[in-house]
Formats: sequence, C-alpha cells, structure tokens
Amino acid sequence: MTVVRRIGTALIAPLIAIVIAVVISAGVMLILGVDPLEALSVMFDFGDDPVQQITSMVTVLNRAVPLFLAGIAVAIAFRAGLFNIGVEGQYRLATVVAAGIGAMVTLPAPLHVVLVMVVAMTVGGIWAGIVAVLKVTRGVSEVISSIMLNTIALGLASFLLTGPFLGSEPGASIIRTETLPESAWMPSLDGLLGGLGLELPRRPLYGFLVIAVVIGVVAWVVLQRTRFGFDLRASGLNASAASASGVDAKRMVLKTMLISGAVAGLIGLPDLLGRNHNYNTDFTSGLGFLGIAVALLGRNSPIGIAVAALFYAFLDRASAPLQAADIPSTVVQIMQGTILLAVVVANELARRLARRRAEQANRQGDGAPPVIDPGAATAQPAGVGGPAPATATTDGGGTP
Amino acid sequence: MTESAPLAVELRKVTKRFPGVVANRDIDLRVRRGEVHAIVGENGAGKSTLMKTLYGMHRPDEGQILVDGREIVLRSPNDAIAAGIGMVHQHFMLADNFTVLENVVLGQEPRRGPRLDRAEARRRIREISDAYAFGIDPDALVEDLGVGDRQRVEIAKVLYRGARILILDEPTAVLVPQEVDELFANLAELKREGLTVIFISHKLDEVRKVADSITVIRRGTTVGEADPRTTTARQLAEMMVGSELPTPETRESTVREAAALVVSEVTVHAPDGRALVDDVSFTVHEGEVVGIAGVEGNGQSELVDAIMGLRPLVAGSVRLGTHDVSAWSTRRRRESGLAFIPEDRHRQGMLLDASLWENRVLGHQTQAPSVRGPFIDRRGARADTARIMREYDVRAPSPDTPAVALSGGNQQKLIVGREMSGRPRLLIAAHPTRGVDVGAQAKIWELLRQARAEGLGIVLISADLDELIGLSDSLAVMLRGRIVATLDPTGITPEELGGHMTGGRGGTTAPGATPAGATRAGGGVAS
Repeated sequence: MTVVRRIGTALIAPLIAIVIAVVISAGVMLILGVDPLEALSVMFDFGDDPVQQITSMVTVLNRAVPLFLAGIAVAIAFRAGLFNIGVEGQYRLATVVAAGIGAMVTLPAPLHVVLVMVVAMTVGGIWAGIVAVLKVTRGVSEVISSIMLNTIALGLASFLLTGPFLGSEPGASIIRTETLPESAWMPSLDGLLGGLGLELPRRPLYGFLVIAVVIGVVAWVVLQRTRFGFDLRASGLNASAASASGVDAKRMVLKTMLISGAVAGLIGLPDLLGRNHNYNTDFTSGLGFLGIAVALLGRNSPIGIAVAALFYAFLDRASAPLQAADIPSTVVQIMQGTILLAVVVANELARRLARRRAEQANRQGDGAPPVIDPGAATAQPAGVGGPAPATATTDGGGTP
Repeated sequence: MTESAPLAVELRKVTKRFPGVVANRDIDLRVRRGEVHAIVGENGAGKSTLMKTLYGMHRPDEGQILVDGREIVLRSPNDAIAAGIGMVHQHFMLADNFTVLENVVLGQEPRRGPRLDRAEARRRIREISDAYAFGIDPDALVEDLGVGDRQRVEIAKVLYRGARILILDEPTAVLVPQEVDELFANLAELKREGLTVIFISHKLDEVRKVADSITVIRRGTTVGEADPRTTTARQLAEMMVGSELPTPETRESTVREAAALVVSEVTVHAPDGRALVDDVSFTVHEGEVVGIAGVEGNGQSELVDAIMGLRPLVAGSVRLGTHDVSAWSTRRRRESGLAFIPEDRHRQGMLLDASLWENRVLGHQTQAPSVRGPFIDRRGARADTARIMREYDVRAPSPDTPAVALSGGNQQKLIVGREMSGRPRLLIAAHPTRGVDVGAQAKIWELLRQARAEGLGIVLISADLDELIGLSDSLAVMLRGRIVATLDPTGITPEELGGHMTGGRGGTTAPGATPAGATRAGGGVAS
C-alpha cells in the first residue's frame, strides 16, 4: 500500500463523519429558521484586519492545546482498551491542587513552572490510579469508577477552592485561589509570531503549545516504537493474546491509567499558566469530556488528535461571532454532537472497509507464491509521525 | 434410478467471482434424492462459497441451480428455505437461555391470536423428534444440553421450516467419536424418510463411512465424484490436494533423559472453589510428545493456563528444565523457552487487526530480533517475519498484511513459525491443526516431528484422536480435571481412546473404522 493510500484510508472516516455532521446540522439550522450558509460564513469569518485575524487564530490555537492534551490522555488509555471517562475530574482536581501549591512556594521561573506541572501530573495520575487499583484488585469497571470519581473530584476541587486554597476576599463574586507568582507564569509565544513577521494578537499565544507538541511526539514514539507501547497496544487489541504473550495485564492497567491521568493533569495548565494564573469558579470545564470526542475523531493517533483538537477549537471559537450575528450559538454544540455520533459510525464503516480491502488484496495473492520483499516492506512511512504533530498544530491553525 | 428421477440438487457450471478472485469456477454438482452426498476439499478450496451460493447468501455470476429438476433463482436464504433447502451451520446459532421449543420456532412461531401456540409447537417438534429418532425434549433449556443434542436441535430447526435438503457444514468438528456415530444414525433416519443431506467435511474417514457419494473440490472447482465404497481415504486425500501423499514415516523414539517439563500435583480452582485441574502430575522429556486426550471442558485449557502462568496454582508445582517456575510470570517463562500454540488462535494467539510482523513480535517482546533495547526492532521483526513466511509457507502478500486477511491455515502456520523461533525447550500445542486444511495440517505435523527430533518437549492437546495417537510418545487422558489413564499410543484405536475419554473403559467398537494412514500422513504436501 502506498503512503497516499494509507493516509487516504486514515482520513476517510473523519471526513465522512464531518460531512454527515454538516448535513445534519444544516438540516437542524433550516428547521430553526437559520440560513446554514450564513452561519457557515460567520464561522469562517476571522475578522477584517490582520490583528483581528491573528487574534482569532490564536484563540483557536489556545483552545486546541488543552483539547489536544485531553485527547491524548483519553487515547493512551483507549489504546490499551481502557475507557478513561474520568479525565474531567482528573484535570480539574489536578489544576486546583497545582494552582494552590504553586501559589504557596517561591522558586526561580523555570523550576516553578516545572513544579506546577509535576504537581498537576502527580495529582492526575493518582486520581486515575484509584480507578486502576479498583479495577485490578476488585474488578470494578473503569467506566463506572472513573465516572463516579469525576463527581467526587469536582466536589473535592470545590472544597479545596473554598477551603485550604482560598485566595479571594470573602464575599467576592468569583472565588479563586491565590494568584500564582510571576515566576510560575508560562511565557507566551508572541515573540515567535513577531519573528514570523505577523501582527501581535490581542491575546498571547500560550507557551504551553510547545509542551503539548512535545507530549504528542513522545506519546507517538512510546506507543508506536517501544516495547512498552507494543505491550500497551496489544492489550488493547486483544487482552487474552497479550496475557498469553507475557504482558502482565494488571500492571499494564495500572501503568496505562497512571500515564493517562498524568497527561490529563496537564489539561488545565495552558489556561492556568498562560492566562488565568489562578483557579477559580469560572475555570474552563468540560475539556475532559470533549477530549473523548477529540480522541474518537482523531482515531487515537496523535496527528489525528491534533487535527481534531484544532477542528473542535475552531467550532468553539465560532460561538461568540454566531451570537453576535443573532444566530444561536447552540449550532456549534449541535455540530459537535453530531460529529461525535457520526464519527463512531464512520469509524466502524472505515474499519470494515479496510478489513474487506485487505482480505481481497490477500485473496488475489493467495495461491501465488508469497511475495516477500523485506526491503520494500521496510520502506514504510516511518517518518510520517515524528515531526508531523508539530507541523499539524502550527500550520493547520493558520489556514482555515 | 438415475435418469428417471430428477436430481434433488444439480449445479451446472456455477461460477462465483469476487473482486480480483474466482472463488468457484465451473462447479458441477449432482446430488440424488435421498442420499448423503459429501463435499470434501481443503480449507479455502471453495466449499463454503459453494454452500453460500446454494443457500442463497449470494448469487452466482454464471451457471444454473436446479432443485428437483427445476431451475431456481435464490436471492436470499428465505428463497432457499422456500425451495426446501436448509442449512446447519458449523457454529451453533442457538440462544442458550431459551428452551429447545423456543429455539426451534424462533422466527416462525405458530400463533394463537397474538400469543405463541406452545401446544402446537410442542406437537410439531415431538413429531419431528419421533420421526427421526432425535430424542429431544422440547422443554429442555438449551444451556443444559450437550453438544450432540444441540446439533440435533439445529437440525430440528431446519426440518421444522420444511427443509427436504439439508446442508451440514462440518457437523463432526465439535463431536467426540461416540457422538459422531449418533449423528450418523440420525442421518440414516433422515435418508430413510427420503431427505437429502449435503455433508461438508474434510475428515475423510467419516465421509467414507457416511456418504453415498462424494464430490471433491480443489481450488474452486469440482475435480470429480468418487464412490466411497471403492475409494480409499488416501485416494480421496490425493484428489483433494492434487498430488500424491508421501507415506507416513516410520517413527523412532527421540525421547531423551532430561526432563523439559515436570508438572507435579498441580491443582487449579474455579473462582467458586471447584477443582478444575485436580492433582495432575506428568513429565515431558526432551524430544518427547505427551498427548493429553479428553473431551473438551475437562480441565485441559486450565492445565495449559497453569503451565503458562496465566492461572494461579492452588497446589503443586511446575518445573521447566531444572527451574521451578511456579512463581514466575508468563513473560519470564516464555523467555526461558516456553512456547505456546493456543487452542483458539483468535482469542489467545493473534492481534487480528495488527500486521503480520507485529504478530511475529507478540510473545517475543523481549527477545531479538523483535526488539533492540526498549524499542521494537521493526526492521528485524519484518525480516524475520519474511523468513517465517518463506520457511513455513505462509501465504500473504507481505509482512505488513493485517493478520485478519489470512486464512485460518496461514494464520496457524504463522503462529507455529513464531513459536518455533528462538529455539524453545517446551512447546504447548493446543489443537495445533484445528480448522486448517490437509496441506497445512501435514506441514504442521512435519514441523512438530522435526522439532521433537531436535529435542523439543511437546505437550499436545487435541480433539483429533488420530492426531493424538499418531504424534504422541505417551498419552494421558483427562476427565473432570484428573488424569484418569496413561496409555501407550502404539496399537490403540481412536474408539478405545474415546472410551477412556468418556469414562467408559473399552469404548464402543465401530466395525470397519480403521485410522487411515492418509489423514495422518506426514511430510510436506505440495499444494
């Protein structure tokens, strides 16, 4: 199979899903008396002058970063055959603890950021680890326990916010943690935009973008190229075969959930370190659940997740201009919902298509002597994944 | 009786193409009314395509289908049922938590008003059961029935729908010898009532025993008819594979002094505390094949899991060579030379959606040439997969082909090749030739013999008694978790062995049934 064909096969499901979702959404808009074309043009309208345009793009990118991390967290578990529905609780709890502890210490700048990250990853990992321990020792389904732990995590986060980590005056309208000292702020990438000869946006481009790209590349390398990643994927593809091959199923569940939770712990940090600098009652919520959608749409591959995250972020940015144009912004939610449904269907269709194609290709080869050419076989698209997440995140956002 | 009476089923020049491949080409089939007609051929020869054509699951591109002398067009299985053709699938399609009655009438319920007319259904099922001596109780729960009874329920289901022509797809694959005899008695009843049976199989002895005529299929086309009274199993096998089979080699013992595996007093419990494996002890020496016989579900799978380290031992120990491995992880056992051909390759042996080379890595994730340090050695694994494909005749376009695209025989050969790499000391082979064709079977047997000669110890578990008797140096019979007999395979017949397996000593004797050399023939069959 050629590289083009492989990529084509990978793209076909999400494309079908998006087309179906657009058609359904257009239908819903017509019923609501909204002109779908007008809505579409509003969604694609990034502004009139360069500053507005670059600001819109930065908004999309800034939203895509946490969505990408959420997608990766979900996908890592999913690759091992585990449904981590608890990403939401993991990142909320991780963010509030990281914000609280980060505000209590004084450290030189880079170390301070690192400390906040380590705390967030640890808390996310521990919270996900509870799910793993329950599954391994008591056989509790991770779906059930992670959903229930979400509720507990949100309650716990509220308690921490109003209790030990409370930083706002009593009676303030927004309850928040103590603001992080400046040494814990993540520098923006605006300098980079300036260096590219672009206008400066009205909002800073999150420096966390770099970390997200690194996480994406590392996740890809670990999953696709290492022994550990092989064991993890084998567990997801066929748990019994993985055990028979020598994978310790219990340990694999534990490790996978710890890693997934640790990545989940990072989801809140782009906003925390790049903009808010404290955790408050208005802090972005729902990213964990969106992460499930992003991972599904991106078919659990880092590159796909990057594209899906950008797409969801693009839809997300569109709600404000839609409202301004007197179009209900729920149109965006309808689209996000229908895409999710369509993607589940389309993934299954694409899987069957790929299977059938492979079977046919083989039936042609059957009876003929086996074609064995290790040289040709190794000429696989080995380089496709390495740098691609990076380019996907930076390029993809600039052009729609 | 030939020209006057129209044939029950006749196919003329039936051809079925799939994109890029001709699955059936110029198939001619003549099935007389009231006979048992066997269709034999290797896996992948096109038997199932042909049966799907006859059962209306797809339409042929060319050719005619005649039932009772009239040409018919089958657009769906419903058309086939209307034409009196019924199919009993190899894998039972029964709802376990339903009664026999409910299963049989499902989809064609006799009604009184809006309700199921149980009395009428019961009457009709009794009628069928009595007419063909099935002895099935309409009110029994299917989950309480044995395999043989379930099969009779499946046949009753088809008869209930008015079938006069029955297609049985590999009906004996799941049965022990005694059950096979019962099935054949049932088929005789069906025949006596004037029904026609089309019997698909690749077990040649059985075919010769039960069939009135035989059609052989090879590479998608019919190569001829054979008379079971005058054709030997060996001749049939040669027709199937299209070449002469080598004679079974005479066997000399290769058993050495050193023990490869010592299982002592091993006990394994179910979660509810029942003993699944009960105080089992045996030793496998280097170069020795120890066969474990037993009706499925008598603790063999659990014993295998215990040796592999997939189930905890309640008591006893497992020694691999000189090491006590009872406390070792599965991975450590594998690293020290334990190889495993699982009974269900799709469940325990393969990652179906992954490529062949990834399947080569499976089970060898810590060993060269699959890995280099913490990384998977993709180049090394691909090259070694290519070697396995070459040496073990795995037919696939490349090491990057997904495993799901391969036929069962090719998947199995890949597994055998994979498990043989890295010079294992002990191999657990559970049903190593299940569901593979004659060519692949002979090849796998040959490989096992070779490995045995080189000093590999083998634990062989199989439902194919000829295979067990033919390959093993000693035989242990498992019944309800215990080893109830240790036998010398020389001179024992499958019937005697079957008797031990079911708890009776002597076993029933079936006159004229000799274990045929042809199905046991070793050596590489060119195919």
